[in-house]
Amino acid sequence: MNKIKLVKGGLLLGMLGFAGMLNAQEKIQFKEFKLDNGLNVIMHQDKTTPIAAVSVLYHVGSKNEKPDRTGFAHFFEHLLFEGSEHIGRGEFMKKIQGIGGTLNAYTSNDQTYYHEVVPSNYLETALYMESERMLHAKIDSVGVETQREVVKEEKRQRMDNQPYGSILTEVLKRAYHKHPYQWAPIGSMEHLNAASLQEFMDFYKTYYVPNNAVLSIAGDIDYDQTEKWVRKYFAEIPKGEKEIVRPSIVEPKRNEEIRDIVYDNIQLPAVVEAYNLPRKDSPDSYALNMLSTYLAGGKSSLLTKEVVDKQQKAVQIMALPLDLEDGGLFLFLGIANMGVSADSLEIAIDEQIEKVRTAGITDKDFAKLKAQTENAVVSRHASVAGIAESLAEAKVYYGDANDVNKELANYNKVTKQDLQRVAQEYLNKNGRVVLHYLPKKAETK
Amino acid sequence: MKRICIYTLICFLSIGLSHAQVDRTKYPEPGPAPQINIGDAETFTLPNGLKVFVVENHKLPRVTYSLMLDRSPLLEGDKAGLTSLVGDMLMGGTKSRTKDQIDEEIDMIGGRISFGSTSANASSLTKYQDKLLTLFADILLNPSFPQSELDKLKKQAISGIASSKDSPDEISGKVSNVVLYGKDHPYGEFATEKTVSNVQVADIKQYYNTYFKPNIGYLAIVGDITKQEAERLTKQYFGDWQQGEVEKSTWPIPAAPQGNEVILVNRPTSVQSVVNITYPLALKHNDADAIPAQLLNNILGGGSAGRLFTNLRERKGYTYGAYSSLSPDKIVGNFSASASVRTEVTDSAIYEFLEELKRIDKKTITEQEVADSKAILSGSFGRSLEQPATIARFAINTELYDLPKDYYKNYLQNLNAVTVEQLNTLAPKYIKPANAYIVVVGNTDAFKDQVAQFGAVKYYTNTGEPEVKTSVQDSSLTAEKVVDKYLDAIGGKEKLADVKTLKSVQEAEIQGMKITAELLVDQTKPIAVQSMKMGPQVMSKFIIYQDKATMINQGQEQEVPAEMFKSLKNALEIFPELNYAKNGTKLSLDGMVKANDEDAYKVIVTSADGTKSVNYYSVASGLKLKSESASDGEAEINEYKDYNGIKLPAVSTIKSPNIPVPLKMVAVEQVINPAFNEADFQ
Repeated sequence: MNKIKLVKGGLLLGMLGFAGMLNAQEKIQFKEFKLDNGLNVIMHQDKTTPIAAVSVLYHVGSKNEKPDRTGFAHFFEHLLFEGSEHIGRGEFMKKIQGIGGTLNAYTSNDQTYYHEVVPSNYLETALYMESERMLHAKIDSVGVETQREVVKEEKRQRMDNQPYGSILTEVLKRAYHKHPYQWAPIGSMEHLNAASLQEFMDFYKTYYVPNNAVLSIAGDIDYDQTEKWVRKYFAEIPKGEKEIVRPSIVEPKRNEEIRDIVYDNIQLPAVVEAYNLPRKDSPDSYALNMLSTYLAGGKSSLLTKEVVDKQQKAVQIMALPLDLEDGGLFLFLGIANMGVSADSLEIAIDEQIEKVRTAGITDKDFAKLKAQTENAVVSRHASVAGIAESLAEAKVYYGDANDVNKELANYNKVTKQDLQRVAQEYLNKNGRVVLHYLPKKAETK
Repeated sequence: MKRICIYTLICFLSIGLSHAQVDRTKYPEPGPAPQINIGDAETFTLPNGLKVFVVENHKLPRVTYSLMLDRSPLLEGDKAGLTSLVGDMLMGGTKSRTKDQIDEEIDMIGGRISFGSTSANASSLTKYQDKLLTLFADILLNPSFPQSELDKLKKQAISGIASSKDSPDEISGKVSNVVLYGKDHPYGEFATEKTVSNVQVADIKQYYNTYFKPNIGYLAIVGDITKQEAERLTKQYFGDWQQGEVEKSTWPIPAAPQGNEVILVNRPTSVQSVVNITYPLALKHNDADAIPAQLLNNILGGGSAGRLFTNLRERKGYTYGAYSSLSPDKIVGNFSASASVRTEVTDSAIYEFLEELKRIDKKTITEQEVADSKAILSGSFGRSLEQPATIARFAINTELYDLPKDYYKNYLQNLNAVTVEQLNTLAPKYIKPANAYIVVVGNTDAFKDQVAQFGAVKYYTNTGEPEVKTSVQDSSLTAEKVVDKYLDAIGGKEKLADVKTLKSVQEAEIQGMKITAELLVDQTKPIAVQSMKMGPQVMSKFIIYQDKATMINQGQEQEVPAEMFKSLKNALEIFPELNYAKNGTKLSLDGMVKANDEDAYKVIVTSADGTKSVNYYSVASGLKLKSESASDGEAEINEYKDYNGIKLPAVSTIKSPNIPVPLKMVAVEQVINPAFNEADFQ
């Protein structure tokens, strides 16, 4: 996800009417502590609405999977809703909704994230339920069989049956040759079919343990009472004993362009370009995020203005930044206008990227980019659920929840020259992946 | 002694521990329910009739302006798609700013402005508010509607329509609306390539002049602002907006079908079927039933705790999600229950859907379900209050839907007052398992026989047209007779047999480039030359002989693969129908269908080598309307012209797997029996 969109703050100096410079962020206050079993806990109080957000971030994603057992982390996103020793099958969703709450979960290449928002008088209930699935989730053959079918349907609906739905899978398998980022979180249905119940149990005991998780709570809460409840329900969960495997392999730098054609059930051809990004915690991430906004965020962004509006070669051009812990991808998707070939669209996109690499950006555009960044940072975190998520992510990926309060300062350090520099360094044709999505009927002619 | 002491100690410790142990066998008791406070919106009306709502919230230094126009639904007819272009046309330029300048100035303050045909939104940091309003008001009050912008938007819209033909969800939505409301209803019509190309700048202007009036407008201002400031700013920026009379229109309420109807749309590449069970519904937002109906739907399929989800996903694993909706509307609402299910279980999934609909009608709703659903709805109501925009939305909805003044204040109370008995009585009134359209988009060949058990089957195309197939009434009619009638219609066998040579030059346009296709045929040799030029440049040239075809490439003649020759050799016959009897072509008549909006006989043509194609001949005129085959795609004949007593296609539309857009070919020169010399076929 685009980090710019996920940053929060407010303005202290806004009332003075300063413009042209990013102002200091309003600080998100929080308290944190760590249990003996390794669970990190972060709390943020905001009493304006009587709701509380509870989330658990497990630091396990598809990159922790074995190459012959892909799709496990995402499968657990489903499996952990099956219930626990004390919560019956299917009851998890029913209960949360039955108390007027809402819940969901998602899986990325790096993490699995579970979250609930409940009326604040049910905070203890939500904590109890999250502790249940960390302590003794129900992992049995009935749950595994049901969720296997559900996941297969999810894959069919979101990928196989959707135009351009396979982009992530197709890009990842070409962009990474050594690192486990080479497969997408949805994984392989064959691997899920082949896996035994014991393998699922082992995965659970390895990764879904307090020492691999961050619990974050935000909203209408009392700090002391919340800490008491957290200790009550989570302290007795044993620390994980198995070794948590994190890939140490560094994807070797590639010096050759990889290009391919993907035939899909589509009418309009599309061009996908993927460039390798540095690690998520690299100082260049901020400049790259701004570069992504400059190229494809907003109506006056370079690619939208030139390729969509002026040349009319594309219906739409999107930046899909895949910002990953061990180094993600700077991803563009351009959908060609009627009658425009993928080749001609690719040339048009590359022309613009080359422009940034050779000429950099103007002072005016840089001022504009700063205003857009400021607005995004300030507008972020209009909800307590969003705050809980950012605090947890900051803790996991930057080792410090307080990193959420440094976003604007970090963006402030980026100079105009930095943008040109990162464009030259990262948006390099050597080593990039280019995919042309073409209508399937063109294949069978 | 010591030992006892230790034992006692251990005993103590273990008691101590077991006391500290958490009782995990039951859920913790909740605390006392928190008070839910619903703030009020301040309101005032400008002299021009614009009604303004202000919701103060200073948590973030931002402000949002949302404008809503309350007009009756509009039938756009042969200009369907017009309203979807209005918003971007407004953003396309003002009397003093180009589109580039507008976009640039919005981005310069990191703000956002968007327009639709009945709504507009603008937001920015508070400190840029004056600049934001300057731009917002300029777009709203001084649009210039440039022609170039419309050309571009139409092109994008047409591209969008092309890609929607491949999206199963969009096909399902389109076909569902057509069967629910009919194409002559604002809710049933949809944009096509043709209707979008009909839209002119004058239409957009007329729309703007008719409907962009302050007296049908509601403006919500939310965020870091006071009522006083809001009054000053709205007067300054929107005070000059001129009011005007806007007429209201009424629309018929379509009825639900008498029995279930199965509507199939074939999408052979599908791995899943998109199932939608739907029917129209008389339910307005301010009906007394509206809140109970919300609960009813929630129990059936409102979310992951609903009966549909629990059955079709959690129990059966047919789908990633199954949901229902029961939507009130000012004119006519609808019920919809839908899921994407894998192809093999399409019929089982429909069966389960219908069973759940029947079951809820049989007084099966329980106290627990009602309590849970109340909690779900009141919880979501409570959470929505976290966003200040909710209060503004409440105020506008109260006006738009003519709700009681204290509707939202009393919402939770009214929700909680609904009883199980009330819902069990209400269910059969709103849930109709025997009066529904069952719309299925998928690989229909795989399940068409199995789904016939649910109701009469009708086919629709992926462009939302009914695919009517009727059997031919006259039993003496044969495919041969249909073909003979066609030959008569274009000039008669005798005349046609005298045609030995033909020259045909046709033109088409693609992306502003002119394409010229030229065909020369001499049946006496036989030989044909087919060439294609883009602008002045020759793109391809084929020479076709009796037994082979060659491609001319940079002066070199190269033989083409056998497959390609099979398709090219058709060019050697000027009127292929004339030779069907002689060359062993088999014909069969496959009923009557619509082709290019005309009743047509469908004739399946199987050539001696087994290649199949389908021709459509008009019932009325006898003329050939369309032909299609797997290898060559589709050719529609839109217009015939007379050349020396023989009718030849003058305008035709070619859709082929090898070209990205349908090509409209217009004949510019057609000569019957021209004299050729050798050089013509080099």
